[in-house]
Amino acid sequence: MDPRQRPLLHRRLGVLKALAWSLVAGLILIYAWLQLVRHGEFQQLAMQQAVKIRPIAAPRGLVLDRNGHRLVDNRRALHLVIQREDLPTRADVIESLALALELDPAALARKIQSYRFAGKGRPLVLKENLDDAGIALAERVRSRFPFLSVDVAPRRVYLGDELAGHVLGYVGEVDEELMKAKPGVFRLGETIGKEGFEASGNDKLKGVDGQRRILVDQLGTEVAHFGQTDAVAGRSLYLTLDAGLQKILQDAYGEEAGAAVVLDLRDGGILAMYSSPSYDPNLFLNRLSQEMVDRYLNNPTRPMLNRAIQGIYAPGSTFKLLVALAGLEKGVITPQTVIYCAGKKNFYGRDFRCDKPTGHGGLSLVQAIAQSCDVYFYEVASRMDIDDLYATAEKYGFTDRTGVDLPQEKRTRIPSRAWKRKAAPKDPKWYAGETISVGIGQGAVGVTPIGLARFYAMLATRGKVLTPHLFYGFRNDQSNELEPAPVPVPRDTPLDPRNWATLDEGLYEVVQGGTAAANPLIREIAREAPFVGKTGTAQVATFVDKSHYARQAKHLKDHALFAGYAPRDRPQIAFAVVVENAGFGSTAAAPIAAKLVKYWFVDRVRNPLPPPRGRMVDPFAPPAEAAP
Amino acid sequence: MKDRVRALDSRLLWVILALMLLGTLTLYSAGRNTPQAAIWIKQSVWNLMGLALMLLLAATDPRRILRYSFPAYLLGLVALAAVLVVGKKIGGATRWFVVAGQTFQPSELMKWVTLLYVSHRLGLRPADSIRRFELLGAVGLVAFPMLLIQRQPDLGMALSFLPILLIIPLMKGLRARWVVALLLLVTVGGFGAWKFALKPYQKQRVMIFLDPSADLQGKGYQVNQSRIAIGAGGLIGRGFTSGSQTQLNFLPVKTTDFAFSVWAEERGFLGVLLVLGLFGLLLSRILDAAKAAHTNAEAYFCAGAAGIFALHLMVNVGMVAGALPNKGMVLPFFSAGGSSTLSFFLALGLIMGILYRSRVK
Repeated sequence: MDPRQRPLLHRRLGVLKALAWSLVAGLILIYAWLQLVRHGEFQQLAMQQAVKIRPIAAPRGLVLDRNGHRLVDNRRALHLVIQREDLPTRADVIESLALALELDPAALARKIQSYRFAGKGRPLVLKENLDDAGIALAERVRSRFPFLSVDVAPRRVYLGDELAGHVLGYVGEVDEELMKAKPGVFRLGETIGKEGFEASGNDKLKGVDGQRRILVDQLGTEVAHFGQTDAVAGRSLYLTLDAGLQKILQDAYGEEAGAAVVLDLRDGGILAMYSSPSYDPNLFLNRLSQEMVDRYLNNPTRPMLNRAIQGIYAPGSTFKLLVALAGLEKGVITPQTVIYCAGKKNFYGRDFRCDKPTGHGGLSLVQAIAQSCDVYFYEVASRMDIDDLYATAEKYGFTDRTGVDLPQEKRTRIPSRAWKRKAAPKDPKWYAGETISVGIGQGAVGVTPIGLARFYAMLATRGKVLTPHLFYGFRNDQSNELEPAPVPVPRDTPLDPRNWATLDEGLYEVVQGGTAAANPLIREIAREAPFVGKTGTAQVATFVDKSHYARQAKHLKDHALFAGYAPRDRPQIAFAVVVENAGFGSTAAAPIAAKLVKYWFVDRVRNPLPPPRGRMVDPFAPPAEAAP
Repeated sequence: MKDRVRALDSRLLWVILALMLLGTLTLYSAGRNTPQAAIWIKQSVWNLMGLALMLLLAATDPRRILRYSFPAYLLGLVALAAVLVVGKKIGGATRWFVVAGQTFQPSELMKWVTLLYVSHRLGLRPADSIRRFELLGAVGLVAFPMLLIQRQPDLGMALSFLPILLIIPLMKGLRARWVVALLLLVTVGGFGAWKFALKPYQKQRVMIFLDPSADLQGKGYQVNQSRIAIGAGGLIGRGFTSGSQTQLNFLPVKTTDFAFSVWAEERGFLGVLLVLGLFGLLLSRILDAAKAAHTNAEAYFCAGAAGIFALHLMVNVGMVAGALPNKGMVLPFFSAGGSSTLSFFLALGLIMGILYRSRVK
């Protein structure tokens, strides 16, 4: 190299060196800015994406009957799942997996595709609630598809199956509609009560969810776990229900449709509430299958309807007690009033028939109740205005919902002039002839079984309007004893003792020598456990010639009713029984009432805790151990 | 032989060994919890091969190497053309030969061969000023491989040839007005490239460079995660193998382009100071070699090499901090990769040889 060039070269290299060091210095400044000045901000960002809080679902409280029998239990259910990061991508793998698990390949592929972009950290459930066969299948398939895993999750078990489906209801995942309606109350995926007491008692049954603080990686997979707040289980609750009595009703209804309610007269507690056909809440914990939809949702007999609180029935002759009470209080009759029945009577130019075409002759009020004479009550109704009748019904709480602690109770329909104006705007005038029909519980009047039961409870207690309820109290987790919940205070509207005695006497005569006495079984039970009540036969269709009655289609047959209380001297329970399309109240409904009375006052007293029998053996037994 | 070992430039060697060690530690941490857990071992094999190659070249007379620069350059052009035809396509780009299961990227080596040949050409004539045809010749020599590389396409690699064009003419006495002209050319070329030559994804990268927050889920996601990792490192770092961004895989391509973010997160600002200081010493020592060189060609090569190392340092370290566009330029000693490692050591071997010869005379 030419030595003359060297100083020039050195000068230029010196510049480059300075540039190199200023590059380094510039980079250091950038890092100082990020790592020293903005350190806190970035550290927070790093923690935010790595540390997640995952909820721990709190187990719901158990549900027991008044004697401590479990009606709802918690078990562990097994689900076949794929963790999100293990989702298969190859179409042929998905197809052979679907075939192995007997799933629809196209549906599975869609599910996997949509799940890939869904929420992190929750596994894709392929099969829910594996039974023994399902577990065996899963084990076989897992050797070929190692990404499958079995997840354990809590599951509600309804021990009586269909025993109290409508009362208990079922649980499910909170839906989007509800989350939108009450923002901030629920979290996604939370289990809540959907129907029945699970729904109305949801706040009491649900516990407090816990929290797990975990470290997740970029895929949302849990990497480490640091600390958690444990979930607090929901409190177990006692219901006023008596499982044994409930079982009596279930057996008594068999294939018949209808509903029955039995009330404890001391506090309005519901000792039994059965709606037939019933449903098995266990089946609603799985995703709905077509079979389920056909069996329950598209079934013309409407098994999902809780007829005890949602069925509106013409009360028939059971309504005559209200007409009698209104007549007495209005003063249009006295307990001694005698009215002559000739088998029919003309009001406003139209003949109204009595059930007995030859006529009952002269009848007192007690006899009219016992024989269920229609002409007597046509006459009483004709002496009043419909609004008088409504006023009495309102006074004794018959026009309101009972306020039972179940969702979606229907209101009874006791007509009035105001009601007609609203219900029939095209023909808003109330005709006097309509009052005559209402006098025997036909026409516009419609009651729920629970409303009817409460009215008879009011009669039995001489004026106490109770609030029927299922919630009995909390279970003390240490002692397993009942901690009673406050009882809804009844509204007291005392009946005139003279009037009451007359009505009570009438109800007594129904069973002793009246419409219900023809049945020898009823006479026999009434001797053992003296109960009183009123039959009802509510027309579904009108027939002029009753001789063809037996040949009529089942769904046109009359509804049979029976409502009453027991025992007569110091009443403890009141009840209402409705059997749809079953014919006469005396032959279809009264025997069911007799059975429940016999169970409650005879069999149960001999053996206070109902011995589990038949279908109840399994449900109430502790979970069976798996065979070795 | 003993003399030669003793005469090796110990300062440069220590800097290289230190950077190699820190880079390997970083790869060890970056590979944990991933299928690439053994990548630090693989990279160590490359490093040892590179060290051997470096020592071999250090013991070779640089003049002999310079003499073969023209055939090497021609061979390199053929290789770049061939890779476009028979190369392996990965992620939309055709940059690699596959030899015995290993991928090899000819453009990595071609960068140094081009530098070598341009240094050789411009070092032939002893003069303190550059002639017009010399400058044009140099532009042509650099443009051929750049165009072939841009066909792959590999914008980052093509741009890493630019220091050759900038530094050697400057060393040779390029007048200031030429520098201005060159800068104008780059600017106009930049606009032209933006309008006609750049692929949409390349334009997107530039756009994200201008506003990194605009595309947090896409290309900007990587840089954003990298900034979080660096910032979270703080003064002393979150501890070796304890950075959440690194270990929980929030940091993307952490064994290659974002390896320095791993170091910055786990060793903090003090670690960054150490590594950047070592790189400063490396650049400084390479420029010392240029000063000590016996011939112009050797001096130009050293200066150009310093420019290429500096560009890699600036683009990679600046990029992972979100200060420069995401070009995918590797950081020597930190980013895993066989071709780049070998070619860096090759260049360092030449520089060592130049230093050695300057000492023994």
